[in-house]
Amino acid sequence: MTNEDLLLQFETRRHFFSRCGVGLGKLALLSLLNDGKSFAAPATGAAANPLQAKPGHFPAKAKNVIYLFMAGAPSQFELYDFKPTLQKYHNQTVPEELMAGKRFAFMDTFAKEKPKLLGTARKFAQHGQSGAWFSELVPHIAGIADDITFLKGVSTENFNHGPAKCFSNTGSTRFGRPSMGSWITYGIGSESNDLPGFVVLQSGPRGPRGGAALWSGGFLPSAYQGVPFRSGGDPILDLSRPKGISADTQAETIQTIRDLNLSQLTESGDPEIATRVASYEMAYRMQTSGPELIDFGKETKETLEMYGAEPGKASYANNCLLARRLVERGVRFVQLYHTDWDHHADLGQPLEQVTREIDQPTAALIKDLKQRGLLENTLVVWSGEFGRTPMGEVRDSGKAGRNHHIDAFTLWMAGGGVKPGMTLGGTDDLGFSPTGDKMEVHDLHATMLHLLGLDHTKLTYKFQGRNFRLTDVAGQVIQKLFV
Amino acid sequence: MCISARSLARFLAPGIVSAAAAVTLVAQQPAGTDAVTILKNNCQPCHSESLKSSGLSVATREAMLQGGNRGAALRPSDAPGSLVVQAMEQTGGLKMPPGRKLADEQIAAVRNWVAAGAVWPKDAAVSSAAPSGKRKGADWWAFQPVARVEPPAVKQTAWVRNPVDNFILARLEKEKLTPSGEAAKETLLRRVSLDLTGLLPSPKEVREFVADTRPDAYERVVDRLLASPNYGERWGRHWLDVARYADSDGYTIDAPRQMWKYRDWVINALNRDMPFDQFTIEQLAGDLLPNPTTDQLIATGFHRNTPSNFEGGIDFEQYRVEAVVDRVSTTGGAFLGLTVGCARCHDHKFDPISQKEFYQLFAFFNNVDEVASEAERYDFNRPILEVPTAEEIARKKAFNAQWSALSKELILYVRELAAKPRQAGDADPSKDPELMERVQNLRELRKREPKYTTTLVMKELPKPRESYIHLGGDFTRKGITVQPGVPEVLPPLQGEGKTRLDFAKWLVDGRNPLTARVTVNRIWQEYFGKGLVESENDFGAQGNPPTHPELLDYLAGEFVRQKWSQKAIHRLIVTSAAYRQSSKERPELEEVDPYNKLLARQNRLRLEAEIIRDSALSASGLLTDKVGGPSVYPPIPDGAMSVTQVAGAWPTATGPDRYRRGVYTFFRRSAAFPGLMVFDAPDANASCTRRVRSNTPLQALATLNDEAFTEFAEGLAARVIKEAPEDTAARIRYAYLLAMGRAPRPDEEQRLGKFLARQMEEYKSNPSHALELIYKGGKFSPEGVPVNPPPAKLAAMLPKDLPLEAAWTGAARVLFNLDDFLTRD
Repeated sequence: MTNEDLLLQFETRRHFFSRCGVGLGKLALLSLLNDGKSFAAPATGAAANPLQAKPGHFPAKAKNVIYLFMAGAPSQFELYDFKPTLQKYHNQTVPEELMAGKRFAFMDTFAKEKPKLLGTARKFAQHGQSGAWFSELVPHIAGIADDITFLKGVSTENFNHGPAKCFSNTGSTRFGRPSMGSWITYGIGSESNDLPGFVVLQSGPRGPRGGAALWSGGFLPSAYQGVPFRSGGDPILDLSRPKGISADTQAETIQTIRDLNLSQLTESGDPEIATRVASYEMAYRMQTSGPELIDFGKETKETLEMYGAEPGKASYANNCLLARRLVERGVRFVQLYHTDWDHHADLGQPLEQVTREIDQPTAALIKDLKQRGLLENTLVVWSGEFGRTPMGEVRDSGKAGRNHHIDAFTLWMAGGGVKPGMTLGGTDDLGFSPTGDKMEVHDLHATMLHLLGLDHTKLTYKFQGRNFRLTDVAGQVIQKLFV
Repeated sequence: MCISARSLARFLAPGIVSAAAAVTLVAQQPAGTDAVTILKNNCQPCHSESLKSSGLSVATREAMLQGGNRGAALRPSDAPGSLVVQAMEQTGGLKMPPGRKLADEQIAAVRNWVAAGAVWPKDAAVSSAAPSGKRKGADWWAFQPVARVEPPAVKQTAWVRNPVDNFILARLEKEKLTPSGEAAKETLLRRVSLDLTGLLPSPKEVREFVADTRPDAYERVVDRLLASPNYGERWGRHWLDVARYADSDGYTIDAPRQMWKYRDWVINALNRDMPFDQFTIEQLAGDLLPNPTTDQLIATGFHRNTPSNFEGGIDFEQYRVEAVVDRVSTTGGAFLGLTVGCARCHDHKFDPISQKEFYQLFAFFNNVDEVASEAERYDFNRPILEVPTAEEIARKKAFNAQWSALSKELILYVRELAAKPRQAGDADPSKDPELMERVQNLRELRKREPKYTTTLVMKELPKPRESYIHLGGDFTRKGITVQPGVPEVLPPLQGEGKTRLDFAKWLVDGRNPLTARVTVNRIWQEYFGKGLVESENDFGAQGNPPTHPELLDYLAGEFVRQKWSQKAIHRLIVTSAAYRQSSKERPELEEVDPYNKLLARQNRLRLEAEIIRDSALSASGLLTDKVGGPSVYPPIPDGAMSVTQVAGAWPTATGPDRYRRGVYTFFRRSAAFPGLMVFDAPDANASCTRRVRSNTPLQALATLNDEAFTEFAEGLAARVIKEAPEDTAARIRYAYLLAMGRAPRPDEEQRLGKFLARQMEEYKSNPSHALELIYKGGKFSPEGVPVNPPPAKLAAMLPKDLPLEAAWTGAARVLFNLDDFLTRD
């Protein structure tokens, strides 16, 4: 028997044990009694590739997700949520009844001085067939008005950055739960055989608050945790061979490891060894696909210019282009973090700079996905962890910023089965509270899973005696969004 | 089936009997029957005497007056002010019954009844769910006292080595299965060395054990390993997972925090085999012991390992409460094996733990003194304890001496200046250059004042905080006040029963049915991959029942009988025939016991994150075998620390600290060490009682390409070349002995030999590759060789052994990547 035959035999046997279950009599019964895992959950025992693509609960509208996370929380009032009334009452003290029962960050500052309403200084105009409002800060995004759909008056649970980011990503303000990318790759795997299924890209002056907890696999096996790409050098840690190890030596090394592992497989009969052999083969392929992925050499000049991408430079623009290249290669969930939106003190130059950094590349990503036919099965989400208050905050004299606001913020989605050019939900004239459709972060998660063919109430993992979900005990699919 | 008087009246009224007769009929019912029946049918399914959802029973008037978590449900004669009416009317936050609304006339009946004084009908049989005196779920196996069990009789007595085997074998015999034979001696030694100390046996230890034919040769090894300080490092790490130990605050800012004294306390306590009852009491309440020692205070760091939020603009009370909740949940999982955290927002759905009982446990942990000042600002860095080392004390002493000497000199100088006669036009004496220099010197010195090592500890507020039920788990929604207490299904507290110390003692008083079971089960889990109760942190109704209930009780009983000695339990398990079995798969078992729950063989287990590193370090001979001390910074890939808001400093160790065991690696929660995380190390944001074992391509990349592993491979290569005879076959055998603790099989020896031969060719024909591999691409250079030597002359200039070293480094890389190396057989 050759090694290949041996491997095939073990693969078949494993497949039999871990997947089929049906028709195996006692085994199947045991499996049902002891590990009655829900549908779409991977079977116990490591599958040959835990990230292997698998069907969801029903046919999917979207295959991939690109989540553009604006870390620090952008001000909806300076970008998308146009409030003439707020401008009219600019600088007036906020009526007490609007503040009653609400909790804000930095509450102690309110005790010192009654907060005042802050009308935006930015010019707004309507764009596209949809007539959606955009400020002058996002001219490029305004140009894709008819490709995107706004959700306004979205609410979240916690008014501090770390816990709120955690909530946006894991459905819980407590650190340590699996993130949405982990849930999704756990549920349906990834189409890519030589790249991680859940990739995290970062840009901006610092990393996002909370760090690794935001893309954690929580209690799910670590195969599902997000893999942060580095902005310089190898995108994936330890992707390059050590110095002095030639490509041939590396190939020879992996071949030798394989032969010796197969010898051990014969000796002990542990099918886990077959999984390890498969892991090394994928690792070997990653060493080729990784460098190819970040090489922008084959991108046209027009494409690079559209994004404003410069090969070799760490930037949001490069990450947007990289995101397209990742979903092109079948990577299931790509998350971009761009930092420094926390404008407490100044909605002037600092906001102009960060919007300039994201405006053109974001629009380019949507256009590029669309022209390549990728937008229809790629869901793009643009969101912060919460929004900002209608009242101003004065930290330096002469300038004004805004505090954290969790009751009503704005995000947008595009592609992946979302009906374009709409606005769902809204806020009152001062932007304090939602009017119309109420939408919460759990609803967004439920909707995202639905578009990927997953029922958020059935995508569960048993931990500490309880079936956990991304949406906890909440979540309503936002049906109005769908094409 | 009940028909209310009103519906009866309605039914009767239309012409069947006269209206007067109907009125008479209704009047015959005792007053209030109507309302009480509505309560019974609609409220009592949850609010019975036995269930008391949210603490409320509606079974009697008294019970309603007493109320539940939200206070009294009933205010006789005050219908609008009665919670029961408000809940039914659903005008406020509380809407009952859940998910529906009673008919208007039903609500009106209750409203009128309350308004009329809420007279309870004499013999209203509202107690349909008759209280049996026991809570529902109280008869669950885990709440019963640990049974005194005798090892069962078995047929194959020759296989049995100790009582553990009677239980395992009896079950196998019942299923008509036979256990596996003992593993090969080499396998057994490697297994027990890794399990007890997390390090590989040395070649000498392997040779000695194989040659030792005494009947108790194995037991001698076990005793040696249990006495090794490496035992505390290995088993301490398991406990540190439970304790969610880390070297940073967590949350948003995630600044470094000093807690390593607590880590060392755990390692030392295990090495001394501190009885588990004492181990528990000192960690949960060491500060409340009479005249606590410094060590007992350090031990209380267990519950100060909670993440702390230092983000600007937070509500401090919210995160203080989060930490207390974490303490309750962690205690529940670690000692009681119960998911008490489920009862934070509502009564536990599956186990008999009410929301009120959750907050009674909460009350034990709610009194930590984090309040820094009168202004009621919290400081999560309090209470803190200074724990100086002898060296720090000496440095401080020297500093103080220097400080007082310089201060004295300054005072003398000032006097001197003041004494000088002054005339108009003289320079201002306070601007005297020498004076200014002296003051400046003192200021500089103050900056260099040596700091003492600190550690976070527990300390009670003089007056306990008020604890109350958080309605829906939200601390801003106050329910009724609660006193400290333990769940009713468990034995009652002894003594006053009010303090953390009372609670800690209660956990380990020998009557608590859970603590001993949960602890021995977690120990068992590390030896077989799964606990006897697979859901090691959930012994409740949603958990798995034990595969061998009598064995669990035997071990738990033995644990208490052996005065809570963990080493005694380790010894009992690892000297059993069950543990010593071969792990080889047996096709006939796969059919009947695919998950090997009956243990007719051992399980192969992938090594934990730290142990993979430690094994490579011990095989290569590079290991710095120092126990304890501040956390260390081994090499980390570039950029690994910049994935979070505040990029952390990483002063990479260049000396011996580069080769310390994984348990000493500085652990930053938001940017944890990648080499550990890739192999499933927990993130320390919450207590972890069992690690997952995954098998991924990123792991392969780490052991293939990571700088640290290349360095370990070089170490192994150098050691093999130096210590083995000069002959490839002998070297291969020695390398296998070092890395796998056994000799290679002929096919393995041949395959590695073939690889080595090709590598020798490669490095002889490409000496620059060898130079790069061994000397880090020119970062270092062999003695006498220029950093960038001319290629043509390179071969002649290089040390003779360089190709050999490079080829062997390649072979060592192969060995470190084999399943056999990464797995405990």
